This record gives sequence, structure tokens and C-alpha cells, in this order.
Amino acid sequence: MKSLDNPKVSRATALPLVWVVPLLALIIGGWMVVREYLDHGPEITIEFADASGVEAGKTILEYKGVAVGEVQSVGLKNDLNAVVVQVRLSKDAAALACEGAQFWIVHPQIDFSGVRGLDTLVSGAYLAIKPGSGSPITDFKGMGEPPPTQNKEEGRAFVLQSDRLGGITTGAPVYFREMKVGAVETSQLSDDSTRVLVRIRIYTPYVDLVRTNTKFWNAGGLSLKVGLFGAEINTTSIESLVVGGIAFATPEGELAPPAADGAQFTLLDQGEKDWLKWQPKISIHPPEITPASPVHGGEIPFVH
Amino acid sequence: MKPLKSFSNSANITLAASLALAAAIMLIPANMLPIIYTQNAGRIRTDTIFSGIVGLCRQGWWSLGVIVFIASIFIPIFKLASLAWLIFAARQGPGAHARRLTRLYVVLSVIGRWSMLDVFLVAFLSGVVQFGVFAKVEPRSGIIAFAAVVVLTVLANEAFDPRILWGSPASNTPQPSSK
Repeated sequence: MKSLDNPKVSRATALPLVWVVPLLALIIGGWMVVREYLDHGPEITIEFADASGVEAGKTILEYKGVAVGEVQSVGLKNDLNAVVVQVRLSKDAAALACEGAQFWIVHPQIDFSGVRGLDTLVSGAYLAIKPGSGSPITDFKGMGEPPPTQNKEEGRAFVLQSDRLGGITTGAPVYFREMKVGAVETSQLSDDSTRVLVRIRIYTPYVDLVRTNTKFWNAGGLSLKVGLFGAEINTTSIESLVVGGIAFATPEGELAPPAADGAQFTLLDQGEKDWLKWQPKISIHPPEITPASPVHGGEIPFVH
Repeated sequence: MKPLKSFSNSANITLAASLALAAAIMLIPANMLPIIYTQNAGRIRTDTIFSGIVGLCRQGWWSLGVIVFIASIFIPIFKLASLAWLIFAARQGPGAHARRLTRLYVVLSVIGRWSMLDVFLVAFLSGVVQFGVFAKVEPRSGIIAFAAVVVLTVLANEAFDPRILWGSPASNTPQPSSK
């Protein structure tokens, strides 16, 4: 056999092809780890006065019914006066945690004006968020109870002044012609403690019913009149009997301009019979009642 | 023929080493990432292998915790360490410990196929426990990395030829390429 004059001697390549396997493992494994950490949004801390029902690793943060975060840890603040809850947000929900965001804990709540958070009976309490609009921050103060209205842009709020609260509770209905058109948001004492301030919210389609000369009165409880020719019992509804209620009427004739958001009125103890006879013609656009209409989100105000 | 044979042996070792290294790399995401997501009456958990073991022990299931620890943490690491030792020994050439090392190799081959406990558990639970809001189990990415560790280790084990440990009288010393 003839041997080559100048055999070309080549060494095996320094890195055999099989080392692609660990390289591939490194890339895939690294990508898995990186993806896991990229999926995590920011971690925020919320301070609550009371965090009953909140558990690390179990309680979730919900926004519009979707889980957007998970409680990582629950601990006491250094001065033992508050609870600090750490929440890991999911990545796509990071924009919710901005200045002005409000957090509260949703527990099952059953009272005469309705049942709220019934799902928490099974799932335990959860945190709810109302997003802020400022710059992103990581430290928040939680609230003891839900913010007055979860859809602030809906409807119009008015403040009623009264000498006494008269059995009106948060969530109590506001009636117009015995139709529920709004609800009581909060009640508090005035700064000088001489009056009670009740904030109500009239739902969107009915806001124009409230004019600058509208009369408000307490429609809760029942009035009992016993006279010579019999007895008369008056109450607006069973619900208002228990949780209290407010009714209003608007004078007919020349309509006064619609009341502005936040306008103040006096809340009278009793309405006058004449007020119920007022027939102001105010055009409103109530939601359709026909079953064909699509169900849209938000509370339909006339369910009661 | 002899040089070719010795070349193929060293290639086998290289292949086994690269597969073992890949398995060792995948061991990191397998243990770092959550492997399972469970939702039971609103209680939500995502567990890594280790947090699952801790959870079992906390609930008093000590024996189960030990079994899962052995099957999911101890054995994969033991297998990789043993493989590394075998590969290292094979590169040193045939040695005096051939009998013991071969026995170790046989042990690795036997336990290799039993290491999928976690994978089977997660796959089984994900398939069976789907009760909507009441209970739900879903796999998480860590279990894929864990399965990759097991498969790569078994492949590395298969690529490794224990005969290298013994050598033959003729090939005890590497043959010069020109006779």
C-alpha cells in the first residue's frame, strides 16, 4: 500500500459534539429559571390594622375577580400596632400598585341589605385592590373596610345633614317613589359634632332626579298613627324598616337645575304628604328591563 | 482495530460525562422551581420539591416526607455523584476497584427507572384532581426539569460502558497507533 508523502494529521476537535447536550441543558434550565423570575411582579407591603383571615401563601389579591397577587408573609409591625402583609404581584398586574391604590380585606358579609363576599365562605378571605393612578410605589396602607363605592365614576354623591342619624346604616337604600335609586355610603358626625353628615350616592341613570330644590327625608322605620277612625302604619319597605332608608322628592313645575356632585341637602325627619304628589317630568335613561338586553357588569340598581 | 476501539470507549465516556453534566445542570431548576400547584377549598399552594417535603413533615407525615426526600432529592444527587465517580475512575484507566465500581454501576441501573416518583405523582394528581373551585392540581415547570434530570441520568448511565473499568489484558495500556 502506498503511503502518503505528507499525511495530514488532524487532532480530534477540542470540543466533541456531545458537549452540546449540557450547553443545551444550561440554556433551557437558565431560561426556565429566568422566566420564573420574570413572571413575578413587584413585591408590595400593605399595612393593616387587622388582618384576620389573611394567611401567607394562601390568601390572594383579587382585582375584578381575577387573582393578581399572592400573600407571601404576614407579620406584625415593629411597634406591634399593625399587621404588615407582603404581597407578590403577578407581572401583568404590576401597574395596579400605584400611589393612591386602596386595599381592603373581603370577608363574607351578611346583613339585611344584602350578602357580599359569599365566595369567601369557601375560599377564605381575600384582599381586594382599587388601583391608584400615581407613580408606582411599594408601601401601602390597607383600609378597614371597602371604599365607599367601588365604581366611583358611577352616579353622583350628595351629602345630607341631619340632627340625628335616625337608624340609617351604610348601604341603606335611597328611594324615589319607593324605587331604590341609590344607597347610603357613609355617615359621620360633622366637625363640630352638632350634626350628622350622611353621604349618599344616586346611581347613574337617576342622577338628574336630584335638583337643587329636592327634599330628602328619613324613610326608615315605620310610623304609626292611631286615631279615632282607625290606625295607619307607614313604612317604605321591609328593608328600610331594618336598615333605615332615605326618600326624596323633587318639586314639580319649573325644574331647578340638577344638583352638582357633592351638593349638600338637609335630611328631614319626615316627609310631607304633598311631596308625594309632586309629578316632576324629568327624563332619565334607566337600564332596559327586557330580558333580551345583554347583562353588563356592575350593579343593576333597581333589583330590590 | 485497537485504536478505534479505545477511541470509541473514550467517546462513550465523553458522552456519559456530557449527559451527566446536563443532568446536573437541570438539577438546579428542578429544585428551585415549583413543581406543583394545588388548590384545595380555596387554599392555594405552589410547592417546590423541598417545600413539599417540609409540608409533609409539618403535617406529621414523617415517613412520607422521608420517602419523598430519598426518592426526589437524595437519589438524584447520589446517582449523579456516583456517575461522576465512575466516569472519573474510567478516565483514570482500569483500576483495582473494578469489581466494586461495577457493582455500583448495576445499582445505578436498577434504581434509575424508579426515580420518576415525583413525575408520576404530579401527572396522576393533575389528571385526577380537577374539581373546579374545590380542588385543582396543576403541574409547574420544575417537574419538567426534574423529569429531564431523571432521563438524562438514565441516558448517561446507558452511555457508560462498565467494561472500560476492567479493560482487557491487551488494552490495559493504550496502544500506540503505529504498530
